[in-house]
Amino acid sequence: MPYHTFKCSEMLPDREKHAVIKGPGEDITSALPLGNLNTVPGTITERGCAYCGAKHVIGTPMKDVIHMSHGPMGCTYDTWQTKRYISDNDNFQLKYTFATDMKEKHVVFGAEKMLKQNIHEAFDAFPEINRMTLYQTCASALIGDDMDAIAKQIMKERPGVDIFVCNAPGFGGTSQTGGHHKINIAWINNKVGTVEPEIKSKYTINYVGDYNIQGDCEIMTDYFNRMGIQVISMFTGNGSYDDLRAMHRADLNVLECARSAEYICNELRTRYGTPRLDIDGFGFDLLAESLMKVAMFFGDDCVEKAKAIIDEEVARWKPELDWYAKRLKGKKICLWPGGSKLWHWAHVIEEEMGVKVVSVYSKFGHQGDFEKGIARCSEGALAIDDPNELEALEAMEMLKPDCILTGMRPGEVAKKIRIPYLNIHAYHNGPYKGFEGWVRLARDLYNAIYSPVMNLAAIDISKDDFETDKGFMTRTMLSDPGVPREELHTENMYTGKMDIVTHLRDKTYDFPAPEPKADAAV
Amino acid sequence: MSCEVKSKERAGIINPMVTCQPAGAQYASIGIEDCTAIVHGGQGCVMFVRLLFSQHLNENFDIASSSLHEDAAVLGAVHRVEGAVDVLLERYPHVKVVPIITTCSTEIIGDDVEGVVRKLKKGLLATKYADREVHLIPVHTPSFKGSQTSGYDAAVTAFVKHFATKTEECNGKLNLITGWVDPGDVKELKHLLKMMDVDATVLFEIENFDSPLMPDKSAVSHGTTTIEDLQGTANAIGTIALNKYEGGKAGEYLRDKFQVPCVVGPTPIGIRNTDTFLKNVSKMTGKPIPESLVRERGKAIDALQDLAHMFFADKKVAIYGHPDLAIGLAEFCLDLSMKPVLVLIGDENPNYAKDPRILAIKEHAEFDMEVITNADLWELEDRIKNKGLEVDLILGHSKGRFIPIDNNIPMVRVGFPVYDRAGYYRHPKVGYNGAVWLAEEMANVLFTDMEYKKDREWILAMW
Repeated sequence: MPYHTFKCSEMLPDREKHAVIKGPGEDITSALPLGNLNTVPGTITERGCAYCGAKHVIGTPMKDVIHMSHGPMGCTYDTWQTKRYISDNDNFQLKYTFATDMKEKHVVFGAEKMLKQNIHEAFDAFPEINRMTLYQTCASALIGDDMDAIAKQIMKERPGVDIFVCNAPGFGGTSQTGGHHKINIAWINNKVGTVEPEIKSKYTINYVGDYNIQGDCEIMTDYFNRMGIQVISMFTGNGSYDDLRAMHRADLNVLECARSAEYICNELRTRYGTPRLDIDGFGFDLLAESLMKVAMFFGDDCVEKAKAIIDEEVARWKPELDWYAKRLKGKKICLWPGGSKLWHWAHVIEEEMGVKVVSVYSKFGHQGDFEKGIARCSEGALAIDDPNELEALEAMEMLKPDCILTGMRPGEVAKKIRIPYLNIHAYHNGPYKGFEGWVRLARDLYNAIYSPVMNLAAIDISKDDFETDKGFMTRTMLSDPGVPREELHTENMYTGKMDIVTHLRDKTYDFPAPEPKADAAV
Repeated sequence: MSCEVKSKERAGIINPMVTCQPAGAQYASIGIEDCTAIVHGGQGCVMFVRLLFSQHLNENFDIASSSLHEDAAVLGAVHRVEGAVDVLLERYPHVKVVPIITTCSTEIIGDDVEGVVRKLKKGLLATKYADREVHLIPVHTPSFKGSQTSGYDAAVTAFVKHFATKTEECNGKLNLITGWVDPGDVKELKHLLKMMDVDATVLFEIENFDSPLMPDKSAVSHGTTTIEDLQGTANAIGTIALNKYEGGKAGEYLRDKFQVPCVVGPTPIGIRNTDTFLKNVSKMTGKPIPESLVRERGKAIDALQDLAHMFFADKKVAIYGHPDLAIGLAEFCLDLSMKPVLVLIGDENPNYAKDPRILAIKEHAEFDMEVITNADLWELEDRIKNKGLEVDLILGHSKGRFIPIDNNIPMVRVGFPVYDRAGYYRHPKVGYNGAVWLAEEMANVLFTDMEYKKDREWILAMW
């Protein structure tokens, strides 16, 4: 019986079939956890709302935009400064956030007039920014303000200004995922095809479903650019609003987080015939394969360049990855992200870092995500859909992981039972994409697991007999006890810089000249 | 020279300074033992507020959601509360107090929370949980009214109204309603009361928000104010509500309903306000202020005297945050001969302009200053970037951190939330020790800034 019932949830029939243990010889046909269903109220779920899925995950990484939420200030305030989607324009989108400040009188008499005034005020305060995204919240949805009409009026009154409206109120869906879907569809319906891009290369892509957490997206676009590929738009990390209006002109959509952004790729395929290529930017082998797949789509010259990049990067970073992998071998981790990392990482982190993924979970994943994730998991892994506080605690007691990879607040829960955590939503010291990034993840994992501080936490000085002959412990004393110093090869510990992203912003690239396209002139 | 008190002129918010009412109610709820609130609304109203608390305190706090989805938003959602109460009680056998905190969505659709509580009491609680003490307490906190401050106030009032029960005898205790403070503040207030030999019921006992990592894995971060503590508030010698806008109403309720004498304020930030607080405690309890506190106060004044006229005098300060905190800090700055030229309060309340503390500042300020209500953080940034405001120091919480960073202005993080400095929740802002901590933090931040900017850094060798 592959479905797993948590003791703490035995009384909840609605939680049956939300957890699965992959048994010996079993595959995904034996059982899959249910996914993307309504939450059982009162379970202390970790899920967020559709508004945050739309605005906070996908909308706000767009960098040259006034991001305004139409509602009370709380939705804006609470989500502001809780993620690390950086950009190359001094992080305008991180620094500024806008709320219309809906009050009781607006709820009673309507808030459209006030919304209009708000939009003017925001553009007046930032004359250099003439793009805006406007997000519905629970309150503005329920009072029925016509935000689209207001946006149209403003665009008439202020030529040169462009506004995108996203109607994804908090209650609109089971979790964040409802908002991902709505903003994808709204963007393709309203904005794609309204700007023609400058084509600089024979090869063009959109890089979709990466939100530039600590610079992930900039690492990946550097590879693509070095391969001679022009990235027309980034959806949406470090992305520019107008570039994203030109998504229809790319030759290929390279899709990273298929959970949050497959919708727009599928629509681009249907409407413009642009093929979708799913890739993994994480892990040496998967990344190398991914770069090759993209290169092969375009041609031999591109493949040559991709090979050169892979050879160079692997030679530079593999010894350092292996140093950590040797010491992480056999360590148990729970891979507990929001959605896509459960399948991005499940297999490759075992293969390349030697850790054992004893559990995967997803807050907002669909069954398809579990299908991919469990297929990549090894035997005995526990997969949980829409986990809640007690189930996560029970899983940790049962599985005794050495580290959990999750978000900040669940990380605080784990800390109390002496399990270190690694932030894989916002990262500890990322980026984690790219070859060097993957080493940074291994480094962070090693630092978390072999922390001399956590090593102290289990000692009860009132009862235990403990060593009194040491003034300190180092990480290697814990990971390689008794190994002589000269055999440690500490020169292979991570040697990269703290900041590996900023310098990329000054780079220039050569692209193969574009071929004149018949339709580009139209 | 003038002090102007006015409301922000713009309609909208650019970089909000405060969050909405449900967050305040949630912060109050985690101060009660065996209490887990259910926030009736979308899941984000809980998930992000829990994250906010984690950002500030580096701890986890359990709060449940009724998980409003589309169908419930359209057809009414009280059944989601019924379900949530049952699931919560069944899976958390220790839970006795369940505040049901409303949000904008469930207030707009008009869910009858009182009705569902009545129904649950007659049904579920009387049958399935007949042997268990359970308190369901509706807390109305529509997000389109007030702010986290009024939400906190509403929750404290709802809890006191629900529990306070008059019995024959006075319990000999003082009610201390702290307002929205940090664990370090509660520790300091309890220290002062201990020195005074006064037994108090503290609303809320949140020292455990700063909880350990224990060898037996047993620690949980949660408040420890009990049901009995709350019930006993009706039988106290008196109530001191430190913050007028966060808990003041609850003190007034106890006075009006049970004739428990009540003093509202002052927020004991700085020496003078701490003096007044101790005098109030002394008057109410008949206990004298002991020599040990004279000494503690003397140490604080000694420390401030080293800094005030040399480093603080005439420094222009901008302050933003919760109303009582911002006003208290402004008063403290004046005592240190500083110039609080701009005070920003994030919400609107007709009482702010009439607040005697603000009126006193208005009367005596010897420089131009502004008090802006309903303010956002752009009120500060815009003045600095575009309107020529010059300040030497900013006092405020972390949401405004880019203003000092981008404008090269030293800043002391104070208020809620502070997530870009380590461990600030541990330190008191109130009492004599709070005055020392605040003053020395301000001094050290100014010193570091002088060194970075090579601004007479040689002066620091001897003072």
